[in-house]
Amino acid sequence: MNNDLIIQGLTKKFVTGTQPALSDISLTIKEGQLTTLLGPSGCGKTTTLNCIAGLEQPDEGVIRVGDFYMTDTGRNLILPPEQRQIGMVFQSYALWPHMKVFDNVAFSLKLQKVSRDEIKKRVQDALDLVGLGDLAGRYPFQLSGGQQQRVALARAVVTHPRLLLLDEPLSNLDAKIRETSRVWLRELQQRVGITTVYVTHDQSEAFAMSDMIAVMSKGNLLQYAPPEELYEHPATQFVAEFIGATSFLKGIVTSVDKNKVGVRLANGDEMKITDHSNRTWNTNNGVVVAIRSERVEVASDSKQGGNILHAGILSSTYLGSKWQHVVDTGSGSLKVETIDTVNEKRLGLFLPPDSILLFPEEK
Amino acid sequence: MTSAEQDLHPIPSVRPKFSLDRIVQWSMVVITILLVVFPSWPIIYQSFLANPLYDKGRTLTLINYAHILSDTRFWTIFEYTIGFAVATTVFAVILGVILAVVINRTNMPLRNFYSNLVTIPYYVSPLVLAFAWMEMYGPQGFGTIVVRALKLPTWHLYSFWGIVIVATMYYIPYTFLYATSSLALSDPQLESAARIGGATPFQTILHITIPLLRPAITYSILLTIVSGLELLSIPLVLGNSVGIDTLATYLYTLGIVGVNKDYGAIAVVSIFIVILVTGLVYLQGKLTSMERRFVTVGGKATRPKLLDLGGTKNIVSVFVGLYILLGIILPLACIVLESFVSFLSPFMNPLKVLTLDNYLGIFQTPAYRQSVVNSIYLSIFAAGIAIVFMAIVALTAYRSNFKGRNVVKYMALYPRAFPGLIVGIGFLWAFLLVPGLGSWRNTLIAMSIAFTMRYLPLGFSAISPAVLQVSDELDRAARVAGATWLGTIRSILLPILRPALLSGYILLAISFLKEYATALFLFSEGSRVIGTTMLELWKQGGAEPVAALSTIQMVITAFLIIGSTRLLGVKLHE
Repeated sequence: MNNDLIIQGLTKKFVTGTQPALSDISLTIKEGQLTTLLGPSGCGKTTTLNCIAGLEQPDEGVIRVGDFYMTDTGRNLILPPEQRQIGMVFQSYALWPHMKVFDNVAFSLKLQKVSRDEIKKRVQDALDLVGLGDLAGRYPFQLSGGQQQRVALARAVVTHPRLLLLDEPLSNLDAKIRETSRVWLRELQQRVGITTVYVTHDQSEAFAMSDMIAVMSKGNLLQYAPPEELYEHPATQFVAEFIGATSFLKGIVTSVDKNKVGVRLANGDEMKITDHSNRTWNTNNGVVVAIRSERVEVASDSKQGGNILHAGILSSTYLGSKWQHVVDTGSGSLKVETIDTVNEKRLGLFLPPDSILLFPEEK
Repeated sequence: MTSAEQDLHPIPSVRPKFSLDRIVQWSMVVITILLVVFPSWPIIYQSFLANPLYDKGRTLTLINYAHILSDTRFWTIFEYTIGFAVATTVFAVILGVILAVVINRTNMPLRNFYSNLVTIPYYVSPLVLAFAWMEMYGPQGFGTIVVRALKLPTWHLYSFWGIVIVATMYYIPYTFLYATSSLALSDPQLESAARIGGATPFQTILHITIPLLRPAITYSILLTIVSGLELLSIPLVLGNSVGIDTLATYLYTLGIVGVNKDYGAIAVVSIFIVILVTGLVYLQGKLTSMERRFVTVGGKATRPKLLDLGGTKNIVSVFVGLYILLGIILPLACIVLESFVSFLSPFMNPLKVLTLDNYLGIFQTPAYRQSVVNSIYLSIFAAGIAIVFMAIVALTAYRSNFKGRNVVKYMALYPRAFPGLIVGIGFLWAFLLVPGLGSWRNTLIAMSIAFTMRYLPLGFSAISPAVLQVSDELDRAARVAGATWLGTIRSILLPILRPALLSGYILLAISFLKEYATALFLFSEGSRVIGTTMLELWKQGGAEPVAALSTIQMVITAFLIIGSTRLLGVKLHE
């Protein structure tokens, strides 16, 4: 049987505000996959997660896992969280401080009236799974942040839930532990094979862990795609901006030949762009050209040819493994990267036609 | 720098012999210690004297101890007091916790409306609450007569359980307030996690919410027991006519009502109570420090999610509403109404007997008028000076490198072990005994000092958390910039602490206004306060003037609370 998580038309209005907290979100998350809800704070990702958990109630929408309906506002069905059979890891881990690790993990099983021996076995299995089998007798305050996070995960999966929800579980960890934790978390998720919804505002975390990423902004779902596709073909300027360091220049379409588009920038420079989106372009359309700093090839100022811009360096920052320069192209400023120091005041920049993204100008 | 250079330029000793900072710190330590020792030593001294301590020819003896400890009546009263305090604590803490949970964590209708009303008894003097219940539910009370007229069974308010119920009403808000602020600090994700794990709202409250309140509950239990042991007003007003005594009323009878006062007995009973309370206060400190694992640290601020009570929410709301109406509003309304009539009875239309005579009577009698003026003076001026003093004590304890600062911490909290009545006895005897201070003993200055000692722990613990929250880098920056310790306090710490000082001041002002026990031994002509006058009038049988004084006290308190919270934005609770 198909046990995908299906979200249809999820809408939630703020009590007083005019802008909805969520407007018409629809997503299908394949069984066993990990989907990340990505976006800046206030974009609606946590609200979506809480609606899935039953901690908040949407005004409209359907949430179901296969045929198991958790929310269906058309039928006035909103299951309370305790009847949804899900596991969740909270940002603060939410370990109950008055209970030992064992009792934290065993809590749900006790409520389900599982036999005492069975509880012992399953709690031990869950703690072994997260590598903390020998800490069952500790209290939460006796654990490090990373250990607390693992206990929270053990508590979330011990009941074999239909869904695992993760609310920025790595945000309280040190940068170093965070990197190892996300690899570990991803491996564990794939091993258990549990359908998972992950919320974060950190794009590198999202890329490292997800099968699919849903980018959200102001209550809207902007794009839902696998990480590579999201990176290569962002659907909107906002998505392009949010997922990578990108500079934007304004221009006007001068020629269209199938997917080869000619664009004139503000100072008159001409560029050729190979457009992979399926948008139709007309000459004299106002457009925004998005350029990724890591794709720009830096040459000397004397270099001539197609797609070459000439720019003066405004500032240079040493980032450890590379230099990042902010340059002025005459049509706007741009970020570029070089491995070595640059002594020239001016640079020639080659922009490969395949690496430039084109978006319609926003009014 | 080499050692040779050091020899050439020896570092001059610049430590001044005289520093204002040190003088202030020394005085804070000395004054704090004096405040505790000054009223204590005459009691200890008297307990070993056979004659009153101001008599000539003192000889040390143990006869007082032998006398009291072999007195069966004393032990009966002791057992009775313990029973009273424990029963009151059990009811008050259970009900306080339930109220805090349903008002703060569920979707019970009217919960916001209720949340302020349930704290009313916290601000009302227990003396006023006792009178209010007496007028409403006493044998001749308004409510009792109505019920009797309806041929329904009535009750005996003047009994052990009657006293326990009224004291429970008085102490519920203490638990409620501690539990409420504890709930506000705890992470709502802890409750969400339980719901996700399969717990119903009720199971979540039972297994997560209430167990998390354990530190607040432990604290409330000990606070209520301690206060219950020393509570004078409610057992006195309700138990006096039927011969019920607790340790506090026994002490009151020994020292004030009795004709041949047995000073030795007073001293021994006082010491007995202080030792008992000291033990409990010590236990409270131990238990509180063991609760570290309950400190919960939330993630980012999330909206607390309310637990759905489902179909029972209306029933719960009705019960809470009835508690507030019958336990708090009706008795207080009854005493206010009584203050405006010549005689209150359910069989008479109160509009026909409306009068201002009760108030005129109070304002036309110089002694009574004086008591109102004195109480206002104490609550405005004495509390103001006291809070500044307590702030500097707290800053000496937590924000100086002064050697005696740890002594200050303990000394400032120690008066918690002294019931008001005993503070009054101690100061009275001390003023009598120290040559040259005798003429002070009945002045408002003596009263102010005694009140300050009694409420030092309250003010100190109201300010301390705020002091600890201010980063000490701010002080260090000021010291590096060239300010003295006092200069840092004046220009950095006191301005930052202003909100805490203001709310501490209002709490002290309310406490000074309703305090009566400390004043009972200390007052005389010219230094009466509202509480002592109420007891005097009550003994003379004047129910209506007592009602008028109670109303005056409640109006001033309401004025202080509304004025400070609405106009000055003061927060009286976390």
